Amino acid sequence: MIFVQGWIKKILTGLLSGVIISASSWGLVYADEAYDVYNYDRWGEAIPSQAGYLARFSVSGSELGTDDFSSPGDIFIDHNGLFYIADSGNNRIVITDNGLKEVKNVIDNFTYKGKTLTLKNPQGIFVSDDDEIYIADTDNSRVIRSDKNGNADLVIEKPVSELYPENLTFLPQKVIADKAGYVYVVVNNITSGSVMYNKDGEFVGFYGANRVEKTSKVLWKYFWKLISADNMKKYMKDSVPAPITNFDIDNDGFIYTCSNSLTQELDAIKKVNAAGYNLFADIEVHFGDAPTADYSNNPDNSYVDIDINKDGLISCLDYSTDRIFQYDEDCNLLFIVGSSGNQLGTFRQVSAVESDDTCIYVADSQKNTITVFEETVFGSIVHQATKLYNDGYYEEALDPWFEVLKRDGNYRRAYIGIASAMINNGNYDEAMKYAKLADSQWQYNRAFEGWRTEFINNYFGIISLVLIIIATMVLVIVRHIKKAKGGHRK
Amino acid sequence: MMDLSEKQWVRHTVFHPFEGYEDLRWKKAGSLKISFLIIFLLFIALIVNNRLYAFHLWNDYDKLFNIVPYIVRSVVFFGAWVIGNWSVCTLLDGEGTLRKICIYSSYALIPYIVMLYATTILSHFLVYDEGVFLTCIHYIGLGWTYILMFNAIKSVHQYSFIKTAAAIFLTIVAMLIIMFLIVLLMSLFQKVIIFIYSIYTEIQYRIKV
Repeated sequence: MIFVQGWIKKILTGLLSGVIISASSWGLVYADEAYDVYNYDRWGEAIPSQAGYLARFSVSGSELGTDDFSSPGDIFIDHNGLFYIADSGNNRIVITDNGLKEVKNVIDNFTYKGKTLTLKNPQGIFVSDDDEIYIADTDNSRVIRSDKNGNADLVIEKPVSELYPENLTFLPQKVIADKAGYVYVVVNNITSGSVMYNKDGEFVGFYGANRVEKTSKVLWKYFWKLISADNMKKYMKDSVPAPITNFDIDNDGFIYTCSNSLTQELDAIKKVNAAGYNLFADIEVHFGDAPTADYSNNPDNSYVDIDINKDGLISCLDYSTDRIFQYDEDCNLLFIVGSSGNQLGTFRQVSAVESDDTCIYVADSQKNTITVFEETVFGSIVHQATKLYNDGYYEEALDPWFEVLKRDGNYRRAYIGIASAMINNGNYDEAMKYAKLADSQWQYNRAFEGWRTEFINNYFGIISLVLIIIATMVLVIVRHIKKAKGGHRK
Repeated sequence: MMDLSEKQWVRHTVFHPFEGYEDLRWKKAGSLKISFLIIFLLFIALIVNNRLYAFHLWNDYDKLFNIVPYIVRSVVFFGAWVIGNWSVCTLLDGEGTLRKICIYSSYALIPYIVMLYATTILSHFLVYDEGVFLTCIHYIGLGWTYILMFNAIKSVHQYSFIKTAAAIFLTIVAMLIIMFLIVLLMSLFQKVIIFIYSIYTEIQYRIKV
């Protein structure tokens, strides 16, 4: 009877959910955002998803109480929560309070050794924990380090070194500094990484170059080089990696870089350790939109900015689709935010992204505004669960993961999280169920292994008994048949 | 000697890879019915192997299921093999008839089919690290079938070793040609059907107007 009832229940729920699904097809779903929110499933296919962030408001310069921005190139949030906006077109740095409500200060000139320095198209800004401001003063070919009042104490210019090609222009795009005071500068015509200076502004070397993708073209070139004569080799160009476009530094001092190359996908997003090695190289991850939509090998995404917040969440800003892809520290895609367009939450030409605990800030250099995305309840639960999960608190993450599933039953990470917790609990039956729903073979394998061990431990006596009985029966029967056959043959 | 029923002949050929087919030929045994049953079992085995394999060892794209590839991989491939082999070997003084080639080759597939079912069942008892056993069984089944198939062709046509190898190579070429012709024919038919259909719709519109 119980079984029958179970079946009826299942059929009824199936029918009911079918009715609900057909009733709430695309047109009827209430969506707050100006774009379709989506995520990717295990097969790399886009599926509708809950929004992790909602666009709350966007601010222009006049709303902050100063002149309108003109193609803002970079934003930075310092350790006090103040916003530094590199207002490139107006040749100034705008500092606002931590809610983006009003302007605190505007810096457009610096005093350096008694002289006054003005900015020309500054593209990058960075503020260190001891309140030193680093500005990539792009069209003046220099990087300025100053305090908050505009007193510069260091100006970095084009390195004079045999390592640095003399005939190239030096247009610093972005700048960061690590805790030891080393300054890293992105120059877009250098393919060997960012240019690295020590605390006193002396050129040290290059850091964090991308690798060359081994495409058929590159291999073909290599082959020709092997067989061609020396004077032919002189006219051949080397295969060069994509230059890095932007970078950010996290609390532990790791530098994350991104590249806007549309032709080379390798190292488009990478985390560089002190030795210059890409820590994401061994993780099987495809950043940005899944390649299933487009069968050519050319990646469609072109990243102009990357940001790492205090919790280790990585936000990548894609210039070609105007989307922000947010990943956790292990490169699992969490949310896709934004789109192209003119409404709130969509962009015409993104230039910079910055994020804190709950918000993502995106600068648009055509709209000349900064858009604020705030985490939704769903987003905060996912972040909480992800953080607990990544820190190894699987069981504590169980409740938030179930909460995530209540709001979005397609969220694959939740199933994986639940399966992991169940495996840790020793609840292997449930773990197998959730691993299957997550479509995670690796988790299923772990759960199955546990289940099998438990099964054998519990029923070892019965299993061996059954096996022995079967074996003896088979032996007896075989002997019987042989005897019967032998009798006939004779 | 060797007064075996048809079922016993199947067992005899499978377990005597080098002598079995010669005995089969000598006794003029072999049943076309069993041969068709084997091909049907191959078709089922391919589906079972793809769909019922343990989830942690094999996971196929399961948002849609298409039966045509399975039909092609079993019935069509086997048919192309038999016809290709027959057409090549009639030119190369082979003794085999179409019926005999069909029977002998299908008996050779038995280890492969058994392997498909066996690995599918066994996969539900093994974890990922023990998957090497499955690979092992897979290759044993495959190798056994290769040896049987070679000897089947060898004895059905009464060839030498080298001539059999050459005949098998030419059969594969013939299979490719057959496949190519089938694809060509299908696309041609498609064009003809589209043509007829467009004439039909055109006439329909004219009648309406």
